[in-house]
This record gives sequence, C-alpha cells and structure tokens, in this order.
Amino acid sequence: MPGKIVLCRCEDMTLADLEHSVARGYTDIEEVKRYTGFGTGPCQGKECLAVVGLQLARLTGQPPSAIPPFTSRPPLAPTPLRLLARAPDAHRFPDDPPDDE
Amino acid sequence: MARRLASHDALRGPAVEIRVADTSVRAFSDESVAAAAVASGTRILGRSLKYHRPRTYFCLEGHCSGCLVRLGGVPNVRACLAPCEPGLEVAGQNAFPSAEIDLLGAVDFVFARGMDHHTLMTSSSILNKLTNKIVRQLSGLGKLPAHRPDHGPPEVESREVDVCVIGAGPAGLAAATACARAGRSTLLVDDQLRPGGSLRADPRTGRAVADARLDAVDAAGAEVLARSTAIGFFPEDGGGVLAVAAPARLYRVHAKAWIWATGGYPVNLPIADNDRPGVIAARAVGRLLVEHGILAGDKIALVEVPEVAADIDALAAALTAAGAEVTRVPLARALGVRGRGWASGLDTRDGRVDCDLVAVAALPAPASEGARQQACEVQLDAAGGGYRIVVDPDGRTTTPNVWACGDVTGYMGPARAAQDGDRIAANLCGEVR
Repeated sequence: MPGKIVLCRCEDMTLADLEHSVARGYTDIEEVKRYTGFGTGPCQGKECLAVVGLQLARLTGQPPSAIPPFTSRPPLAPTPLRLLARAPDAHRFPDDPPDDE
Repeated sequence: MARRLASHDALRGPAVEIRVADTSVRAFSDESVAAAAVASGTRILGRSLKYHRPRTYFCLEGHCSGCLVRLGGVPNVRACLAPCEPGLEVAGQNAFPSAEIDLLGAVDFVFARGMDHHTLMTSSSILNKLTNKIVRQLSGLGKLPAHRPDHGPPEVESREVDVCVIGAGPAGLAAATACARAGRSTLLVDDQLRPGGSLRADPRTGRAVADARLDAVDAAGAEVLARSTAIGFFPEDGGGVLAVAAPARLYRVHAKAWIWATGGYPVNLPIADNDRPGVIAARAVGRLLVEHGILAGDKIALVEVPEVAADIDALAAALTAAGAEVTRVPLARALGVRGRGWASGLDTRDGRVDCDLVAVAALPAPASEGARQQACEVQLDAAGGGYRIVVDPDGRTTTPNVWACGDVTGYMGPARAAQDGDRIAANLCGEVR
C-alpha cells in the first residue's frame, strides 16, 4: 500500500487531500486552506505554504505567479498570551472608557 | 544511531542533566533540548493531530511543529529553541499512554487511505454527535500547564531605531553591521538560541564564522536581540510597530526603515511517508554536526533537489569525514521512506537504500510572512523556493522604507546572501537619513 505524502505536518494534510480539494472545485489557496485545514497549525504555513502553492499550480495548470499566498496574520509564531496581556493599550480600543485604576 | 563527536568535546559548554520522558539524559548547557534529545537517542516526541502519526524534530530551528513538547509542565514548547537547564523535565504530548507507544496511532491504520473529515460519520445525527464528542477528546495540542507559572509578569520595552533588521543569518548580520557602521542606530532581531542562521548549519562556515560575524555586529554598535521572534506588524499603531517576543519580554519596535533578512525555512519533499520520524531537514543534520558536534546517523540517505547541490556537496563531505556513510539520491529518483517508528530505508527507482536517517534538502521556502504584514508584494516562484519578497535591483520592496535581502528574496545561498545584505544596507543608508 502506498504511504501518505504529507504536505502539512501540523494538520496531517496530504497530497491526496489537496487533489480531493481541487477535484471538488476548491482551487483557490484560501479555499484549500479552509477545506483541508493546511497552514492552520502551530507553524502557520512556514513548512507547507510554498509546498502547497507549488503543488496547486501543478494540479490546476496555473503559473505559480498566479497563486497568491493566504493572508498572513499575527502572531507569526506561538506566543504566550501573558506577553501580550502586559502590553500597554494592547487590550484597549480608542473608545474604551478609562481604567478605574 | 546519533552520537556525539569527540572532536567537538572541547567546544561544549558545562555538562547538565535533564530528564526526558522520566529518564535522566546527559546534556550540555549550550545545547537545545532537541539537540540533547537527538544525542541521547530519544526518537519520538509527540503525535500528530489527525492520524496520530509519530512526530519528532525536523527543522531544528524553531519553524516546524515537529518538536513540540511539554517542558517543565508547560505544553507546546519547541524543544529546539529551549536551552538545556539543569533538572529540566521534558515530556512528549498528544499521545496515550506515551509518545513512543500511542494506542491512538490505530487511527492511521484504520484510515490508511486518508480521512475526509467533512463527511466522516455524518450519515446519522446521533452517530455524528458521538463522533464529535470523541474527536474533541482526541484533538487539540497538549494539556494545560500543571501549575501557575512562578515567574513574574513579563516586561514591555520599546525601541526606536533608524533601522530594524529581522533575521541574523548571513544576510542580516552583514546588513546590520553595514547599517551600524554607517552611523545608523540599528536593531537586529533573531529568534534562534544563538544568532547566525544557516552559518551555524553549514560546514563551510560554522560556529567560528558565525561568532566572528556576530562580534562584528556588536563592534559596529548595533543592538542584537537573540531568542526574540518578530510576531507581527501592526500598521495602525503609531506609524507601525513590530512586536517582538522574547522569553520574558515583549518589545515594541518603531523604525525608520526595515530590512527583512529572514532567509528561508527548511521544507519537506513530496515522497511517500515523508513525515516519518528519522526524516530530517538536511540543514538540521548540518546544524547538529556543525553547531553541536552530533552526528545524527551512521547511514544517511540524502534526498536533494539539484538547485542546492553546492550546499549539499559540502554537507555530504563533512558527514562522510565525521564517519557517516552517505548516499545521495536525487528527488526525481526517490519514492518513499521505509520504517514505522524511525526511518530504516529509502525506496528509490534504483532499489532500496538502507539507512538510519533520511536527510531532505529542498530549496528553503522564503520566510516572507512578516513582510507580507507590511504589505510587501510576494510572488510564488519555484526557483526561489516559494513566496519570495519582490524587490527592485537595489533591494527595495513594494512598500516604502521596507527593504529585503538574502534568501527571503529568492534562494541565493549563504555566500551571496552575505554580499546581498552588505549591498542592500549601503543602498538603504544612502537613501534613508
């Protein structure tokens, strides 16, 4: 039995999953991300985004340059929330009422 | 088997003892927990989310998810970015009863041909509810910390500089040195235990060269933040602030100009069972050898793409000189990895190669996601290794005052990356006053 070719190790997303996604019509990289979960694990696509993008180009017959990356959002690396909790104003919006303290 | 090389012994820091899965392990204070685990023969550190396939170190530079462990009671810590401190407790996670023997690994056999979680057990609503309950128990990463952390609250510090350079590999070290020498206040941010990037994984350079270039940055007057990760750029905050997370500190960085020198991530190659433990990035194998004096395997199968041949020539020669038997296999000839618990062979179109380690050498994927948060245009480019930052001939990105150099603009290798860093910094200093 042939083994799994894993493209995203965080989420166990395989080449077969990508082919399945494309066959179902999910060919935009954001759609593929939402359908398969690739790029949503602890590495946030560092290991898989380029790999999936290039395989997607091959499967859909598009030039790689036609495939944009998915949106990059903070945090770029796993971050203990306590670091952010201490940032001045980090948890405040401009129209929040002033602190009691 | 992995082993420490006696020739490196004089370079090691003081010996310490850490505990890995309740077993005492000899380590050295200048090693990462992952390096000590490799040297001690610890093979499996955790299990994957869906199929519970065994997981362990792959990139050894803090960018993959392979070496997430429970460290001193705190879950999801990357073993490769954690220093060995005496008495540190290291445990695997996501497995029952242990990472080595995980009964949930049965999922991988039951769903040998893959699992479509969109349609799994959706035929009946009762079955579906039950399945959801079970899946919620099984999924997730790690368990909550055992106790409240005993360290104090983290500090928040600000930095206002002329130039902030992100990434202290060959390109970033050169760029920061040049900017500081030109009289610009310069901050160099790097996420590794010791800055140096690929210099510390390359037998042509290694520790001595990395240390010398780091000394040059210091001598030029730049500030270096090590073990500090750029975690996000927030454009709405006072002209834009880069948040940088250090172990006990958050930095808010404002800069007149930015240089992305984040290089590229080691990625895997698409062969069957490429996620097996014992499949490790070639650069990680180099890092273990060059930085830590650890030979990761005795019989190493090196799967490579042609573009990195020059880098791999040097690595293969160094591994051979250290006593390993190295077989180089072009990606086009490689089929799949053998062995369940640990790689024991590589199937190729020309027969099986017996090995105790598979090293994969792909083009590094440009680490451009931080620059993307600054609205820099990137482009997917096979020859560049992935989403490279688009730059003009002088190194300007499509965003004003944001520059980029080295492999993050497309793979160029360490020697050219250093020249590029130097050149782009000169261009920047000529323009940004």
